[in-house]
Amino acid sequence: MKAPRIPMEELMGSGHLACQGCGATQAMRFALKALGPKTALTIPACCWAVIDGSFPHSCIELPIFHTAFETAAVVAAGIKVGLEMRGDSETTVMAWAGDGGTYDIGLQALSGVAERNDDIIYVCYDNEAYMNTGIQRSSSTPVGAWTTTTPVDNYKKEPKKNMIDIMAAHSIPYIATCSVAWPEDVIAKFRKAKEIKGTRYIHIFTPCPTGWKFAPELSIQMARRAVTSHVFPVLEITEHGQKIEVWKDFEPTSVRDYFKPQGRFKHLTDEEIEGLERDVEQKWRRLLAKEKMMASIPGME
Amino acid sequence: MVKKIEFESYKEMPIRPMTLGSMMWNLTGSWRNVRPLYDFKTSPCILGCPTNENIQRYIYLVTEGRYEEAWKTIIESNPMPAVTGRVCFHPCMTKCTRKDYDEAVDINAIERSLGDMGLENGGWMEKSKAVKKEKVAVAGSGPAGLSCAFYLARQGYPVTLFERDKALGGVLRWGIPEYRLSNELLDRVIKQILDSGPVEVKAGVSVGTDVSMDQLEKKYDAVFLGLGLMSSRGLGMDGEDEDGIEPGLDFLRKVNSGERVDPGAKVVVVGGGNTAMDVARCALRAGSEVTVAYRRTRNEMPAIAEEIEEAEKEGVAFHFLAAPKELVRRGGKLVRVIFQKMELGEPDDSGRRRPVPVEGETIEMEVDRLFTAIGEQADLEGIESTVETDWDLIKTSDETGATSNPKIFAGGDVVTGAASVVEAIAAGRKAAERIGRMFAGEPEPEVEEPKTVGIEDMNTDYFTRSKRNLVPRISASEAKTGFSEIKTGYTREQLASEAERCFSCGVCNFCDNCWVYCPDVAIARHEDEYEFLYDYCKGCLICVFECPCNAISIREEGK
Ligand SMILES: Cc1cc2nc3c(=O)[nH]c(=O)nc-3n(C[C@H](O)[C@H](O)[C@H](O)COP(=O)(O)OP(=O)(O)OC[C@H]3O[C@@H](n4cnc5c(N)ncnc54)[C@H](O)[C@@H]3O)c2cc1C
Ligand SMILES: Cc1ncc(C[n+]2csc(CCOP(=O)(O)OP(=O)(O)O)c2C)c(N)n1
Ligand code: SF4
Ligand code: SF4
Ligand code: SF4
Ligand SMILES: [Mg+2]
Repeated sequence: MKAPRIPMEELMGSGHLACQGCGATQAMRFALKALGPKTALTIPACCWAVIDGSFPHSCIELPIFHTAFETAAVVAAGIKVGLEMRGDSETTVMAWAGDGGTYDIGLQALSGVAERNDDIIYVCYDNEAYMNTGIQRSSSTPVGAWTTTTPVDNYKKEPKKNMIDIMAAHSIPYIATCSVAWPEDVIAKFRKAKEIKGTRYIHIFTPCPTGWKFAPELSIQMARRAVTSHVFPVLEITEHGQKIEVWKDFEPTSVRDYFKPQGRFKHLTDEEIEGLERDVEQKWRRLLAKEKMMASIPGME
Repeated sequence: MVKKIEFESYKEMPIRPMTLGSMMWNLTGSWRNVRPLYDFKTSPCILGCPTNENIQRYIYLVTEGRYEEAWKTIIESNPMPAVTGRVCFHPCMTKCTRKDYDEAVDINAIERSLGDMGLENGGWMEKSKAVKKEKVAVAGSGPAGLSCAFYLARQGYPVTLFERDKALGGVLRWGIPEYRLSNELLDRVIKQILDSGPVEVKAGVSVGTDVSMDQLEKKYDAVFLGLGLMSSRGLGMDGEDEDGIEPGLDFLRKVNSGERVDPGAKVVVVGGGNTAMDVARCALRAGSEVTVAYRRTRNEMPAIAEEIEEAEKEGVAFHFLAAPKELVRRGGKLVRVIFQKMELGEPDDSGRRRPVPVEGETIEMEVDRLFTAIGEQADLEGIESTVETDWDLIKTSDETGATSNPKIFAGGDVVTGAASVVEAIAAGRKAAERIGRMFAGEPEPEVEEPKTVGIEDMNTDYFTRSKRNLVPRISASEAKTGFSEIKTGYTREQLASEAERCFSCGVCNFCDNCWVYCPDVAIARHEDEYEFLYDYCKGCLICVFECPCNAISIREEGK
């Protein structure tokens, strides 16, 4: 057999409580393979607070601090400082929060950490709603989607908040987005982040079969189509927010193909989908223009 | 078994909430109502290959650089990949899934590269010894006879190989010209086969005449007849025994034995099969101007498509929908042939449209020599009384070559009529296996319809379009001036690159997807396989969907 594509070491085990086909679980497995055993986590209220296991058990062989919903970033920063004071500068501390815990309630704590450039990796695993409490909208929920608080006759009209720009505005050393469909890319980005000091923000796209209402076997397919349809761009922002590199080396697919298997978009009419397709394409073009523009600034070539 | 930690009272609890054990006690397999299972299918190419070479497997081994194992995989079902890699009409490639995506994998070119490696690495061929007492006589040393002798010897049965000619190989030697398959290479192939096991050769001995079937049946426990087709079929026209008409096979025999030939300035070859192509191209090389006349159209020509293209490139002219009607001689010498113009009518038994004459329309051609290549016939002198026949062919009851006589087996062209090298190889192998089972007293195995896959069963998200690596060849203008081999074979880089194009249809190629994507860490990755850990698999079926190859199937629990 060939050499394994990703490290063999498993720091996340079986028996956990995630739904069938959970993308957030794959994300954690890849991240831990990249970071290795010298890692400590904070997890706020979110699916992962449950997936992990019931007291006194955990599917993760690493120290985890379960935090209040809004505090993942600061608790992680505190742990990091505490470790430093005890002479451990080696351990990576990672805050692992959902989109609700990142975009909404945890935003001020994250902003504070990022502004101080505290030495943690902050991960937002994005399943585009408050899944743990029963699929309520978050500011990450995409326009057009159904959730229990944006029902079909009043589906979400507001676009997904641009979390990446918010983080870039903090001038932190490393920002990356990735999708669980490309494990090697996920692992490479976590490894890169591990070697950088300061606040590192990784945003990982993790489909949720239960909340998005699609068959669990399509989980990776959704993670792939989100990227190839330009709905979720995979990128890196370095040089303290000044350099963007967008991944473009794939065969584009249609937004419609991405929407189709997902029950949360089922109510959309053809015209509505066409409108959303135009939105996605416009945002993608703007992103590419921005990448070019920033690269053209003297001193950034 | 990992146990769940349960506290009898609060006193047993840690002061702070903390982790004391893993979640492995939680057997999430009970959540599942369908289960994934590794279930390899038969790749379509393998079903397309008459001798069912394990193509997927050896191409996979090539991608890993495991050439010796790859070669040995072919040898399981074909003892002469260096030959088939040059002359096979490769029906495997017609079935290749990749043709429904971009272009079929060039299986034939890969096979040739491996075949050549097997000749260069003499040690790869395992030697067998005569460990069994039953003896077998094999008559005919074409691909059918050689294959049968090889697979019998490999089982440990001593074989005596009878060949009417002085040299072995059948059509491979005296039919197929040097520029496609050299006799020097054929010698090496045959030597490798003969050296590998207990095969004794009796060349220059014709079965049925020099030695009778009676004698063979007495002396041997079984007889295999791989006699091929020995004579060209006639045109059935007036004057065809006079000047200017020659059976194509006779001409090829002369050319292949190095005899000087002078077919004349203007040559016409009648027929549309491989023989016609080879005769035409050999006549071209002897300096003639050559036209092939065929009574149907290009689409119906039985010759290998590549042969037709090459002949055309070298300068052979084609005349379709033309059948010879009259031979015109002057002073006893052939000068002209009058052809009847034909058109295609209703399909015949073979499914091809039947040519019918267009009344009153003829074409005249100046011709010095007309070669017949409209089919070959078997010669069963001294044999026809021992087995049931069907016209001039030997009748068999199934593809293992059993005849009406329980001790006699047959295979190759003498059973099927003009067919192909690989079909003859398959027939020889299957008969050898059948004879082995007969000696061992084993019953014939039940054959199940194999499960296969098509492009619609694969996850094409994992494939990218690519062009086939073209086999290097000398130019047509250079080729037609001599007999040096036209196709020169892949470089190692081309071989590796072409092997990478294989989709591994229905069979795991260790891409790791299932293991990588399983959210429940419910797949174990072992040395040479993966294993489902059903205690934990929740049945999400991501592994099934993400397998590019369709190597995993689904079964409902409780069924
Ligand atoms: C000119 C030509 C070109 C061809 N090109 C191709 C090609 O490119 N690709 C392809 O796949 N197929 C090709 N074919 C077809 C292919 O060669 C045959 O289908 C194949 O060789 C059949 O193998 P066989 O072993 O049945 O018979 P043969 O190859 O005909 O071998 C039969 C052998 O038996 C011997 N024999 C006959 N009678 C007796 C006897 N009484 N006692 C002892 N020995 C006897 C003969 O001398 C001969 O050596 C071609 C055929 C011809 C004629
Ligand atoms: C202050 C506070 N408000 C509300 C909750 C209830 N709560 C727990 S998890 C959760 C949603 C989490 O959503 P997200 O961060 O997107 O993670 P997900 O569950 O989707 O993985 C909510 C609302 C809480 N635990 N604390
Ligand atoms: S892609 Fe490979 S396994 Fe599939 S049919 Fe073609 S050669 Fe065979
Ligand atoms: S991906 Fe894992 S959990 Fe899902 S069906 Fe396959 S083995 Fe089971
Ligand atoms: S997904 Fe890859 S590793 Fe798993 S069975 Fe299919 S081919 Fe084999
Ligand atoms: Mg969420």
